Order: sequence, then structure tokens, then C-alpha cells
Amino acid sequence: MTQTGQDMTGTDLSNDFVTFWIAEQLFGIHVLKVQDILAQSKTTPVPLAPPEIAGSLNLRGRIVTSVDVRCRLGLPPDTSEGGGTSIVVEQDHDLYSLLVDSVGEVLTLAADSFEPNPPTLSPAIRQYATGIYRLEKELLVVLDVDRLLDYGRSAAA
Amino acid sequence: MDDLLAEFLTESNEGLQVLDNELVKLEQNPNDPELLSNIFRLMHTIKGTCGFLGLPRLEGVAHAGENVLGRLRDGEITVSPEIVSLILECLDRIREILAALEATESEPEGDDADLIARLNAAAEGKASAPEAPAADEPAPEPVEMVSEEESQPGDASEPEAVETEAAAEATVEAAPESEAPVEPTPETPEAPKPAASDAPPAPAAKAEAKATKESAVANQSIRVNVDLLEDLMTMVSELVLTRNQLLQILRTQKESEFGGPLQRLNHVVSELQEGVMKTRMQPIGNAWAKLPRLVRDLSHELGKKIELEMRGADTELDRQVLDLIKDPLTHMVRNSADHGLERTEDRVSTGKSETGTIVLEAYHEGGQIIIKISDDGRGINVDRVKEKAIVNGLATEAEMEMLSDQQINQFIFKPGFSTAEAVTAVSGRGVGMDVVRTNIEKIGGTIELTSTQGEGSCFTIKIPLTLAIVSALIVACAGERFAIPQLSVVELVRASGASEHSIERIQDTPVLRLRDRLLPLVHLRDLLHLENDFTELTEEQEDVRRDDFIVVTQVANYSFGIIVDRVFDTEEIVVKPVAPILREISLFSGNTILGDGSVVMILDPNGIASVTGEINVTDKAEEDAQQEVAHAEDRVAMLLFRAEGNTPKAVPLSLVARLEEVDLAQVEASGDQRVVQYRGQLMPLFTMEGSEEPTSESGRRPVLVFSEQGRNLGLMVNEIVDIIETPLNVELSGESDGFVGSAIINDAATEVIDVGYYVNLAFDDWFGAGRQATADAGNGRRVLLVDDSAFFRNLLSPLLDVAGYQVTTVESAVEALQLCEEGRDFDVIISDIEMPGMSGYDLCEALKTKRWAETPIVALSAHSSPGDIARGREVGFADYVAKFDRDALLSSLDETLAEMRGAA
Repeated sequence: MTQTGQDMTGTDLSNDFVTFWIAEQLFGIHVLKVQDILAQSKTTPVPLAPPEIAGSLNLRGRIVTSVDVRCRLGLPPDTSEGGGTSIVVEQDHDLYSLLVDSVGEVLTLAADSFEPNPPTLSPAIRQYATGIYRLEKELLVVLDVDRLLDYGRSAAA
Repeated sequence: MDDLLAEFLTESNEGLQVLDNELVKLEQNPNDPELLSNIFRLMHTIKGTCGFLGLPRLEGVAHAGENVLGRLRDGEITVSPEIVSLILECLDRIREILAALEATESEPEGDDADLIARLNAAAEGKASAPEAPAADEPAPEPVEMVSEEESQPGDASEPEAVETEAAAEATVEAAPESEAPVEPTPETPEAPKPAASDAPPAPAAKAEAKATKESAVANQSIRVNVDLLEDLMTMVSELVLTRNQLLQILRTQKESEFGGPLQRLNHVVSELQEGVMKTRMQPIGNAWAKLPRLVRDLSHELGKKIELEMRGADTELDRQVLDLIKDPLTHMVRNSADHGLERTEDRVSTGKSETGTIVLEAYHEGGQIIIKISDDGRGINVDRVKEKAIVNGLATEAEMEMLSDQQINQFIFKPGFSTAEAVTAVSGRGVGMDVVRTNIEKIGGTIELTSTQGEGSCFTIKIPLTLAIVSALIVACAGERFAIPQLSVVELVRASGASEHSIERIQDTPVLRLRDRLLPLVHLRDLLHLENDFTELTEEQEDVRRDDFIVVTQVANYSFGIIVDRVFDTEEIVVKPVAPILREISLFSGNTILGDGSVVMILDPNGIASVTGEINVTDKAEEDAQQEVAHAEDRVAMLLFRAEGNTPKAVPLSLVARLEEVDLAQVEASGDQRVVQYRGQLMPLFTMEGSEEPTSESGRRPVLVFSEQGRNLGLMVNEIVDIIETPLNVELSGESDGFVGSAIINDAATEVIDVGYYVNLAFDDWFGAGRQATADAGNGRRVLLVDDSAFFRNLLSPLLDVAGYQVTTVESAVEALQLCEEGRDFDVIISDIEMPGMSGYDLCEALKTKRWAETPIVALSAHSSPGDIARGREVGFADYVAKFDRDALLSSLDETLAEMRGAA
């Protein structure tokens, strides 16, 4: 995974986002944050952990903490039996996998379609969202991974 | 930073550390000339080296200190606490400058005139015989560097000679058979050497000339960045995990072609792990190094006479652990000195000796390090602890009445608890034993206290050898698996309605009757709020129906049982920290990946104990646990195997280096000895006396590999049966060769084989011949490098290596002579001239009468004046090379060797 903002063909990746769906809403996180996409994998639940911690899993010898984004965003639990997919991100040398309903494509988004969060957005989502992109068919909420995983801050909030 | 400077800093700091301790010793034995010589030489080395590196300020201070020491040694002034304090002050100043040097790479600005003046006053003012030398010693100002350099040789000549004598004596003691010429007299005129000649910073371990062997080990070393070792350890840990996963897979497959290689991988990884662990090991003495000085200062400050005894300073433990216990240990020694020991008058009035003793002791026991800190002071005042505990609201008076003295003593580990009457500068500030305990528990250790009022107290710390890999018991509860560090597990009890152990309840609290006592229990399921997802039974029914396993766990003096559903085996796990999000959960100390690739949480017994409340201290349970341990130690792990006949054979597992399988097709014959290629060597193979020779030429046979001094030998057996732990009583002495006797193992008479017998067989028949052959075959140019300075050995040996020489290094002339005695041969010897004990000249002369008389010796010296070179030629050196001239050294070697070949 390149860290320079450029992939090997020299394309600028700074406006590329990995998109995913949770509760029929499209979200996106910056492509450079993403290490891996995992299909459903064997997760060990962690007793006494906060509810949004889905458990720990083994990714090629490293322990990854799985975070249920749906729960983190204050959305109702997934009732469908689909299982879900995980997006692995690295934060301060620790790996986290973000549990989402399904992963969409990687999109390059034009800066002029970006808008700040509407003030009426639910606070649960607003605290993790940096803004909204207007796509042709739907709206994409950009999530800030740092904030999403900054457990200490949100616990204090 | 410049490598030379970095090396100088490291070695000087080591030297200073030794100096600190030696000075304290000196204060106690003011008349020990050898001690004085050592101290003088260490100081001289520091001074010399900084002169060489161009550090005038440092040199000025060191020089003034050296002057005082010189006078002390020559008996012109006598050792007194004042002088020792002054010299210690001088050392502190040197340290200060070194620290600044390390930070900025240049000498800090500053004026040492005052200190130097006081040192000089001490050197002169108190000189019993006010002789001329005072004139020779201008107050060393940095500016006068040059003149000082010139005047110094005159000063140094005499001390140098004395030193040689002292060291030579020590040498003779150490190796009486070596013909070390004890002739310091002819050396006197040659002794004048500038600072640089002694520049090679003498490594700390060499301070004691008698401990030649020890220092040899200490100096067979290279410095490696700690980060590199950490990385290696991490990688090995991963390798261990991967190996475990492979072995797990292998277990599920009956016949697999991977079996052999995997077993091999298993062995190699185990050894690699052990090896890498060893590289991180450091003697605990490193953490103690500062203590003698600390105790000395304390004893002055507090006006008490204190003796510090340190035993087992060479006990090794992981450096990470070492770092973490350093501060707690210092704190505890300080505590013992401050309020453990009484004032001198109080001691005398209670009939104790004036001098209080603090004993520090370390040793290995059952995969743990035990550190004991005991003093013969007043012990813990139980009544005051009681009082204080009640005042602090830790327990009520009624509760207190129920507790034994030992239980009450444990209160001192509670936060904010100090029994010191007055807050002194030393201790009693209320940050105390609770911090110590927290720190020790953080690394998975435990601390216990026993104390008898009026007789003293003893703290026992148990800590794991290493933090990275721990052995853990895998248990399951509600379908989830957890790991419990083996260190805290005392025993496992199976409780079911039918067995003698059953769980009883007081209201809702489960307890277990275990050996006539009640053991408090916690349900892991309740503790972790686990859902019971596979039965619909009510709790009562469940308790009756299911077999429960109870993991009896001990934290400090508190024993309790953890109820789990199932117990699997123990596994070596690599502790990985949990994600920050989960760090708040005190019940887990980390997580890990098991052999099957799944992630499990590691339970923290300390956390569980504190959640469940540990005031229910049961000290009897502890005694019991100790008995248990003692019992286990009487047992020996024996490897059972079959060879000839029906009688099973056994050998203590600790003697077996490895178990291998040998393909019979690869067994070759060398004379009438069978050998097999093993790890790049030929390994002799034996069969048991009288066992049938392997008839077929193919197939595999298990082999027990024994290792003796780096040489392997194999004993081919028919079948490896088992490894069991058994009390070992050898009952009959063996009648035939190769057996120690018989023992009852596993209810069957078993013959215990005598490994020594086979080693002798192998050694006589095979190794003798083998060694001869290799010596004849060797035609590479073998260089022996003799230099007392690790610095130069490290500098030169890679250089020579790159130039294509086979380098062997030793750190003293005596060792070189030993090699000669042992029959080693070299093409050329490179020897330093100035070495403590036997000098290069002495070595050269000594070798003339020995087997190496024909081996050319190249002298290596920092000082190559024409006079020196002339003397060198006279003694018989083939060439004389300046230490820093690499090219000259290489070309000299070339020439010398060419000459030899020409002559031969």
C-alpha cells in the first residue's frame, strides 16, 4: 500500500475513497487509510468490551480489533443474516477492522461536489463525519477514521 | 556520534561504575594494595583515554583525582572517608562532563579549578612525607595540557611498576603453572608512557585480576543495539507462533511427509528462541551496580553502619525485566536502610551487632527469578501497621483481630502506607511499597513479605524470566477460550457432584473445600458476563450436572479458584498488548494467537484478584502451595526408550540435547566407528551394548543426541517411549558398562544409562583423531590477537577478518599462553605491549621457551618511539606497529608471514 498519495502509475489518490454501505447509507473513507478488505472472518468476542467492539481476529499473525461501525454510529443492529465485510485500517500502529454491511467501489471524487456536514445531521454521525459528497444518485458521508477510533475522546464526550 | 567517542563513553561509564564500588570497598579495607592498584588503574585509563581524544577539561579533573589516588597507593597519604568522598565527588564531576559530552559531543564549558584545587590539597596537604613531587605537579589547568603530558610519565613510572607487580602476583595465583616472569624491575625505565598508551579503556570486569576466567567471558562480546535484539525477539516470537500452528495442523494428520521436517523445524525454532532469549539476558548485578554506593551514602547520611551483601549477582534475566525492577529494588534497599535497620545505638542496646546487614539475593527457581531483600533490622511493627490500617480505613478493628501477623503485614503494600515515623529525605513519603508492588505485578511478578518483629524482614520477589513468551494454560468458558499465565496457576481441581471435591455455596458465593480449607471461587462466566448459549439449564442444575474445572490461582498470598468449563493443555504464547480501546478492562493482560490461529484473551490473575477482593488472605494456602512446588522439584524428567532386550531404558532428559531421527542409509563407517553427518560435522553413532545391529540398510532410527563441549554424539535406540516426571531412585548399581543402575519408573524396572560412558567412548576413539586431522589440514593464516582492550579487539578483529585472516582474540598474555599450552597453533601473533599483568614483552619472552618459539609476534603499541622499537626487536618481536596504523599492520603481517615462508 502506497503511503505517498500516489499509486504506482503516478495517479493522485488524494481524492479516492473506499465506499461502503451501512443501513443503506453510503459512506466513504480515504483510500490511503485502508490496508485490506476482509470477508467475514472468525472473530473472538472480547468480554466486558464496549458494545461497538465486535471482537479480535487474526490477520496474518497480527491481532486486529474489530469495530462494529453500525454500533459506533448509533444505528440499530443489523438484522439481516448477511454477515458483513471488514475494512482493515491502521491507527497508531494498531490494526482495526471496521465491520460494515458491504463494500462498494473505490471512487475518485471531485472536490467541487464536497459539502460540509449539514447541521441537522444526527450528532452520532456528525461527530465522525467530515463532510458530504454529492454523487449523481446518492450522497456519500465521509468518515474520519481517526475520530472513529479515538475511543478516549468519544468516551469523554 | 563518532564511534570512538561512543565507545569511550560506554567504557568510561562502566569504569566509573566499578570505581564507585571499588572506592566503597576501599573505605572498608583501606590497606588493600591490590584494590588501590585497581582503582588507580581505572582512573588512569579514563584520564589517558580522554587525553587521547582531546578532552582537556575531563583530563584535568581525572588527572587531579589520579594524583590523589597515586599518593594513596604509595602510602604517602592514608585513606579516610573525607578523601573517599572527595574522590567520589571527582567521579561525579567526571560523570557530569561525560553526560554533557554524550548530549552535545563536545566538552561543556565550566570551571573545575575549585575541585582540582581541593584534590591537589588533599594530595599534597596530607602527604605524610612532603617530598619533591609537589613541584612536579603544576595545578592541572586545561591550558597546560602539553606540559602535563610531559611531566606525567615521570609520575607514572613508579606506580606503573608497582601495579605490574601486583597484577603479576595475581596472575601467578590464577595460573600457577604458567611461567609468568615476575620481573617488574627491568620494566621501570620503560614504563613512561603517555596517556594514550593506557588509553584502551579497561573493561569493568577486568578490575579484578584474579577473575581472569570471568572477564574472559565478559570480553568475548560485541555491543549490539538493543532495538535490534528487540526486533529479533519479536520475529522469533512470530516464528514460534507459526511453528505452533504448523504442529497443530500436523497433529490432525496421521501420516504426513511434513512430519520429519516439521519436527526438525520444531527443534531449531526452540533452540533459536532459547538463543535469542539468552542474548537479551543480563546479570541482575547490572541492576545492583549502583546499590553499594547508595548504601554507603545512606549510611553516612543516616549515621548507621550498614553492610550490603549481594549474592547471586550473576543470575541472568531478560533486560526488559531488569529495567523494570531496577527502580523497585533501589527503593526497597533504600527502605531497608532507612527504616528497616535501627540506629546504631538501638542495635547495641538490643544486643545486636553495630553493623546492620542488608542482604540482596537472586537465584533461579522453576522458570522464575527469585529476588530476596532481607535485613536484620527491627522488622515490621505489627501493631503500628494495624493502627495505621484502621486509621486509613482499610479494615475495621474487628477484621484486624481475625488476621494473622503475616496477613497484617501485607497492608504495607496498600497505597499511602508508610510506617516511617518521620518523613526523611530518604523515604517515608507515602509513595512506597504500593508502587513497588504495582511495578512488580506489571511484569507478572509477585511480592511477598515475611517479618519477625525485632529480627528483621524479608521481601521475596518472584518474577518471570522473560516477558515476551509465557507459558499459559488454555481454558474454555461458555464456548470461548482464554489463556491464564502458568506462573499464577498453582493446581487444577476437577469438581463434580460425584467427586470428593464439590462446589458448595454460602448464599450465592461458591467455595471449595480443598485440603480442609475453604477456597474462595469465582465463576469466569459471571466475571466476564458471558452468556451461556448452549444450555437451558438453571444454575443449580448446571452445577450438579456439569463437571467444573477449578484453576487454583495464586496472587501474592491470595489463593482463589477460577471456575471454568474446560481445561485444555498449556501453550507457549506470545503476549501481545490489546488495542488501546480495550486497555481499560483490567481482567485482561493482553491477547495472543494460539496454534490454531485463533485469537484469545489472556486473563490477568492480578486483575481478577483485585476485582474479587483480596482481603480474604489465606496464608495457609500459600504454605501449601509451596509444599506443592517443593514436591514437584524432587521429580526428574526422564526420557524412556527401548533399545536391546525388553527392559526399558531411561536417561535424565536434561542430559539429552536433542532427539533426532537418522536415516540408516546416511550412516557411514569411519574405521569401525559409525558416523553420520550432522549439522556440518560428523557425529559418532553408538548403539546400546549388545543390541542387535541394524540389519536393514534403510529406514529411520531414533537417535538421542548428547552434546559435550560443543561436540555431539548420537545413541541409536529402537524406540522412544515417553518422557515422564518421576522421583528418581536408582536402586542397583549397574554391573555392565554404560549403565548407572536400575530404577522403578512407571512401575517397571528400568535401566538408567550412563551418558558419560558413551562420551568417553566417543572422545577417545573419534575426537582425538578428528582433531589431529583438522589441525594438519588447516593452512589458512591464523592470527592470534592479544589485547586487553575490548575496544581495540573490536576494532582490529573485523579488520583482520576482512583481510582474510582467521582471527582468534584473547584479552591477556596469560590466556595466550593457555592457548599455547592447549596445543593451538597460529601463523602469527599480534600482541599489545601495555597490558595489565603480563606485558607484551613478557609474553614474547615467555613464548621463546615454548612451542610457539617459531611463531612470529608483531607488537602493537600506541607508542612507537625508536627506543621502544629497539627494545621490541631485542626481545624478539618480528615487527613493531603503531596501534592506529591499520595499513602498516596489514602490510607488516604480510611481510612477516612471507618471511616465515621464505625461511621455512
